[in-house]
Amino acid sequence: MSKRIVPLTLNGEARELVVEPHRSLLDALRFEGGLTGTKKGCDVGECGSCTVLLDGKPVCACLVLAAEVGGSEIVTIEGVQPSPDRLHPLQENFMKCGAAQCGFCTPGIIVAAKALLDENPMPTRDEIRFALAGNICRCTGYSKIIDAIELTARELHAETVGAA
Amino acid sequence: MTARDAMALDLQQAASTMAPAIIGTSVKRTDLTAKVTGDARYVADMSHVGLLHGKTLRSKIAHAKIKRIDTRRALALPGVKAVLTHENVPRVLHAGSPHPRSASVTCDQYILDDTVRFWGEGIAVVAATTEEIAEEALGLIDVEYEALPAVFTIEDAMRPDAPQLHDRAPGGNLVLPPVVVERGDVERGFAEADLVIEGEYEGGRPTPAYMEPNVCTCEWDGNGNLTVWISTQTAFMVRGIMAEVLGLPLHKVRVLVDHMGGGFGAKQDLFQTEFLCALLAKQTRRPVRIEYTREETFLGGRTRHPFKMWLKQGFKRDGTIVAREARIVFNSGAYGSHGPGVTIVGTNSLTSLYRCENVRLEGRCVYTNSPIAGAFRGYGCVQTYYGLDIQMDEAAEKLGIDPAELKLQNAVRTGDLAPSNHPVLGHGLEDCIRRGIAEVDWAALRARSRAGEGVVKRGWGMGCEMHGSSAYPGIKEQGNAIVKMNEDGSVVLMTGTAGLGTGAHTALAQIVAEELGVRFDDVSVMHGDTNVVPWDIGAFASHTTYMGGRAAQMAATEVKKQLLERAAGLLGASPADLEVRGGVISVRSPATAADRSAVEGAAHPARSISVRDAVSPRKGVPAAQFVGTATYYPTKSYSFAAHFVEVQVDTETGKIEVVQVVPVHEIGKVIHPVAAAGQIEGGIQQGIGHALYEDYQIDMTTGRSLNANFVDYKMPLSMDMPPIRTIILETAPDPGGPFGAKGVGEDPIVAIGPAIANAVYDAIGVRFRHYPIRPEQVLQALRQRN
Repeated sequence: MSKRIVPLTLNGEARELVVEPHRSLLDALRFEGGLTGTKKGCDVGECGSCTVLLDGKPVCACLVLAAEVGGSEIVTIEGVQPSPDRLHPLQENFMKCGAAQCGFCTPGIIVAAKALLDENPMPTRDEIRFALAGNICRCTGYSKIIDAIELTARELHAETVGAA
Repeated sequence: MTARDAMALDLQQAASTMAPAIIGTSVKRTDLTAKVTGDARYVADMSHVGLLHGKTLRSKIAHAKIKRIDTRRALALPGVKAVLTHENVPRVLHAGSPHPRSASVTCDQYILDDTVRFWGEGIAVVAATTEEIAEEALGLIDVEYEALPAVFTIEDAMRPDAPQLHDRAPGGNLVLPPVVVERGDVERGFAEADLVIEGEYEGGRPTPAYMEPNVCTCEWDGNGNLTVWISTQTAFMVRGIMAEVLGLPLHKVRVLVDHMGGGFGAKQDLFQTEFLCALLAKQTRRPVRIEYTREETFLGGRTRHPFKMWLKQGFKRDGTIVAREARIVFNSGAYGSHGPGVTIVGTNSLTSLYRCENVRLEGRCVYTNSPIAGAFRGYGCVQTYYGLDIQMDEAAEKLGIDPAELKLQNAVRTGDLAPSNHPVLGHGLEDCIRRGIAEVDWAALRARSRAGEGVVKRGWGMGCEMHGSSAYPGIKEQGNAIVKMNEDGSVVLMTGTAGLGTGAHTALAQIVAEELGVRFDDVSVMHGDTNVVPWDIGAFASHTTYMGGRAAQMAATEVKKQLLERAAGLLGASPADLEVRGGVISVRSPATAADRSAVEGAAHPARSISVRDAVSPRKGVPAAQFVGTATYYPTKSYSFAAHFVEVQVDTETGKIEVVQVVPVHEIGKVIHPVAAAGQIEGGIQQGIGHALYEDYQIDMTTGRSLNANFVDYKMPLSMDMPPIRTIILETAPDPGGPFGAKGVGEDPIVAIGPAIANAVYDAIGVRFRHYPIRPEQVLQALRQRN
């Protein structure tokens, strides 16, 4: 089976992934892209551990064919950090609030949370719960995750107001 | 900068962090930065040159002899490097549950066997260059079965003419001889009772459903050394059993565990694949990884033991319990795994929680041709306390006593014999119930319960539990630790305890920092390498902080002693007069005013020195290297909880929703409040799942798995989780735990279940004595009642 060259923007960088036509974006990211922060919890779109941003929208990377995303912009957990020495406020607050335990679902949830805040900077708790409906966390009971996202929204909002 | 300036700066920095104690503060966890950035490497994230992928062929029959297994077509497929079946692996009888030589061992399995005992059991493995090729090769293995009659229920398995799963004592499909516990005189107790109440209670088959599927990579180095990268709670047990089964000395097997994506008890077992992975790697002379699919985590994973319990209790009119009798049967599935331990712990747990001097209990555990039940958070107590607590509610109503008051009145307390036969310390359970009653204004809630005209009814319920920290006396455990202080004053703790994700290593670092008097950031934790760190039994039974933490504290004490001796020479003081806090060693303030003025009047020599300066080299004196080692043999302590729950029940759809939970836990000294609360909230999530949704099901005629995925196996997700108002009490610290700490991991999954069932009764007046309670059952029960 001949491989395909898929040009894309991966975490802000122009890249080419060389993949078999049947390869999922998840496997392509993990094995071709060397980005193992995106986790495989089920491989069939049920757990959300592999959530990445595809042109700004959260998707399960296991349900997307890598060959289909040519020309797209992909952001994985590795691309959430604004710079190597600075964490995204979501990442800071996940630590502060105890929103991660085993950490396996965490990358997908942070990416899903980023997608939410990008679109809805001041979500209610119910809107946060709804946005995470596709992400399974088995350790935390979710409340500390929701706390962390809510806190981040408030902090970012305060910054925006402060800047204005 | 002169050395003196540097020292002054160091002292200043140290002083600024001195004020608050490290214990009891939610310091930044040592593992989380890597987890939130995606840098944390789990086993499946690691690269190995020349890696092969292993896949397991699983049986499509519940009980059978393998008459013929032909791998020729699979081996001919390009890319396939090896195929193993029962015909070409060593035949070594072993225990899958890794507690060698303890009470919990059941030697009943082979790496691969010519007999299949449940639908989904591994019968062959393939190693190939890609996962797709390995998968394809599985379809090319030809298997011919000779079907055997199968049993799926405990009733069928216990019939005298039932087909036997294993040819081993005691026979009759029993995993172990019945566990019988007797105290006092049950007959006399029942004769004295004003009220006798009995009932049958039953629980389904929840699974731990950890997010990281089981995974293992094996590689041989060419010199006969095997390295195993694995997601396990029990690295040293994996080493022990793998070495035993593969015929290797322990030092030839190195087990590495770093981050793991949850385990909740189940990742204490060996899952066949570890041996097969090692054998495939040996045969192909390449690293091999076997990573379960999500479906395989159900098929080849471990579940909680389904159970049935008959429970009878006698009460005096004033609420005193005078007799308790129970017969419990646990369904072990096809292999013993943790069946013995769960049966012993679950049965014994009924001696306690609510005091009763006359008890007679009998616990059985039986083999069936079903998925294997293993260890899972709450270990036997989830089942038995579900029934016990619901029956307390039933009795309360008949006695005309408020259920919370009845439970408070009978709550186990100081001096009572715990299930482990140790006297209980403190009044943790009473404290939890009292605090919960006050917190939710229980009396008012109960007074206005079952009100409302609408179709949605609300109700409140409460449930209690206690859980031991450490598996003593079932297992004579020990915690080990090595603490090293480097020549710059920084510290490394070497511990064998695994980090499931609870923050245990952070807690251990806090304990070492507190004990040594250094800053938290000065301590790092080395773990998860069986060739390097001291032996540890594994992370389970709520004992990591309790036992591993105490060992770490003791090792730190050793280092502190050495440190103060050296500092004493430098400060011209006696070690006994020194104290160390926040990285600074100081001469203790004199006790009396006269002593103080004497010191102030003196031409005072240096009264303090930083830890770094105390250990660093000086002219003619090399840097210090302090090492402390410790072994701690724990006894037992108990943590307690009372959960108060509000539910709403839609009487038209049968849907039960948990509206809010107020869990009150007494866990001794809290090391890391945020992490402790996280344990409680996560346990409640799983407990809500048990009570309302989670049940891994098999077809009762074929044994075929029916819902081995996250769509059909429903768990509580973000939309289902209610607000949780966690309250943690420290009213009964344990003298055996570090700084008085006790366990918290097991507890929260237990009390929530009966609390929900009791709340449902409060809401709609229907008593459910099983879990999960499904909407259709609610509707059916309401219809029957009307």
